[in-house]
Amino acid sequence: MAVRRPARPGDRKTDRHRERGGMNAHDEDSNAPHGRHGPRGTDRHRSSGATEVPFTAGAGETGSASARPEGRSRHSPGPGDGSGPVPSPGPARGGVAALSVPYQVGVALALAVVAVAACVHLGMVFLHVAPSNTVTKQHGKAIDDWIYPEFEQNWKLFAPNPLQQNIAVQARAEIAAADGGTRTTGWYDLSAEDGRAIEGNLLPSHTQQNALRRAWDLYGLTHDSDNRPVGLRGVLAEHYLRRIVVLRLDRARAAGAGGVVERVQVRCRVTDVPPPKWSEEKAPGAPEYRLLPWWTVPADEARGGVR
Amino acid sequence: MNRLAPAVSRGIGRVTEAALGPHQSAVIRIGFAVTWLLFLLREFPHRQELYGPDGPWSRHLAQQLISDNGAFTVLMWFGGRFWFETVYALAVLASLLLALGWRTRTMSVLFMVGVLSLQNHSVFVGDGGDNVLHLMSLYLVFTRCGQVWSLDARRAARVRAARARGERVPDRAGPVLWSVLGLFLAAVTAAGRVEGERFVPALLWAVWLGLALWWVAGRRARWSRPRVLLDAVADIVHNGALFVIMAEACLIYATAGWYKIQGSRWQDGTAVYYPLHLDYFSPWPALADLLSASGTLVMIVTYGTVLVQVAFPFALFNRRVKNVLLAAMMTEHAVIAVVLGLPFFSLAMIATDAVFLPTSFLLRLGDRASRARARLSRRGGRGPVGGPRSPEDTEPARVGFPA
Repeated sequence: MAVRRPARPGDRKTDRHRERGGMNAHDEDSNAPHGRHGPRGTDRHRSSGATEVPFTAGAGETGSASARPEGRSRHSPGPGDGSGPVPSPGPARGGVAALSVPYQVGVALALAVVAVAACVHLGMVFLHVAPSNTVTKQHGKAIDDWIYPEFEQNWKLFAPNPLQQNIAVQARAEIAAADGGTRTTGWYDLSAEDGRAIEGNLLPSHTQQNALRRAWDLYGLTHDSDNRPVGLRGVLAEHYLRRIVVLRLDRARAAGAGGVVERVQVRCRVTDVPPPKWSEEKAPGAPEYRLLPWWTVPADEARGGVR
Repeated sequence: MNRLAPAVSRGIGRVTEAALGPHQSAVIRIGFAVTWLLFLLREFPHRQELYGPDGPWSRHLAQQLISDNGAFTVLMWFGGRFWFETVYALAVLASLLLALGWRTRTMSVLFMVGVLSLQNHSVFVGDGGDNVLHLMSLYLVFTRCGQVWSLDARRAARVRAARARGERVPDRAGPVLWSVLGLFLAAVTAAGRVEGERFVPALLWAVWLGLALWWVAGRRARWSRPRVLLDAVADIVHNGALFVIMAEACLIYATAGWYKIQGSRWQDGTAVYYPLHLDYFSPWPALADLLSASGTLVMIVTYGTVLVQVAFPFALFNRRVKNVLLAAMMTEHAVIAVVLGLPFFSLAMIATDAVFLPTSFLLRLGDRASRARARLSRRGGRGPVGGPRSPEDTEPARVGFPA
């Protein structure tokens, strides 16, 4: 399995957002090549999505005089044992039918608008999660305008293939020691720390399971193979990873007494998960490394600016 | 054709006359609220590191991303530690009150604000579970999810009983809550702190206005017709939202399943082996080894997972098959919670699945819960006033317009 493909400018993943749902540990490239990265517009100015708004009206909270009659009692199993929704209490409140025509038109209008909004929304979500296709290529901008930022989603849970590599992020620091000298620490395996924290843990924290893992993912997706950031997210990803590393090194007291972290360097080690015992696949080769350049740590960060 | 017309009109009657699935919408309300509540409590010691202004994903970084993607977060309204702590505490409180069903509509909005604010600030620490909660918190706002199993339902029953006796029951908490929240929203809007996409702010204002309309309509006797209209509109919106929630669940399973089919590891029957051996998803390595000791077993689980996920949306057309698959999926999620170390993802998915539970099952569950509660309170020595409540009493009043 290859190390994740570095990003190219124009990649959908980097230009667009794809921020949510990162537990999936999936490996898109482990399958046959596919064309998920076609260019779509990157500009995103969105209308207010106002169509969905008005229908919250009337969503009353306080108790009301128009008491709804009691529902079916539990002892009369009705048609409601089936899937999902069941009518709540029957319509004995005078009901819509008793309304005058203008009000009935209002109800009909509300019904029409809600029905259209629900269908359009579901259509948009469907196209958002579907593979790139004729419609998404033609109307990508409209779909993204509808979906982002609040309805973004990613359900490729361990799909198309589960990730088959353990990716360990490691870091070392250059320390300005108290005596005026400079020294370089050994490599700290931050992912191994995460692993130890997760082991035997019924409730792993997002700080242990997601923070570093997804920061590295983000870095990989927003940098080219020469470690040049692609777009705003590339720059943010770099700062983010650096701040995580500084925080972790600080907790490990890497700087020692009186020392200050001046620069940090990150590398990742990619090890293929050994194939199952019962399979006939051959054992994986040696781990691969990716070494990032040294990053200078701003003074306020090094002094515990990251908490 | 002449059989179609009555069917259509019956359907229209159903979706305009009642908020369907009161128990299903209540159970997902409780499910999502409790999931987020437990998550916030679990991460309480790590809240600064995950969402705080000085965490690795700092306010400065978040600001740059949010000014680009326009996502909604109240954390950007003010800087500093105090505001952050306040928002976190309110998010905890809102999820607790939503689970209890106190002022359900307002709490569903505050719950959504809490979820969106924290998640949109630090979008890169989330996983699939956060994604589910994010969407469902938005959808829940449109539902009348407090019709049963809620403090609102209890209050509505009391109000009705009092009215039947000819008493007037003033409601103070509602108007106060409404005024405070409205004033605050107006103040931050006037101060120009609400930036980004207008969808969520517009939703906040719409609910606020809707609640006002509802309150007015409930007070004025000659507003009975507008009240019926508002009621019908709220039912229609609820039914639409519940439909969207169910369809969203189907999309989740369909996407997860159909993409898996295309993967070589899901085809050769080894896929399940790999996540079990990723350092980030194997809290119990010995258990993972045990589960993956047999190649045949791994293949059965691998194929079974895909089969269930792909089949689920179609199984909705048959009640019995649907229930079998539902049980299978809930079990699988419970296993995933432990084996892959994803408790909150699993809880969120189980809560999502719960929207498809049969009403009869939910009613039995409710009965059992109220009996257990009655037993507990008897044992606690403070027997309920007026003797043990009959199941009829505790059977939540499915009435009212708790929201």
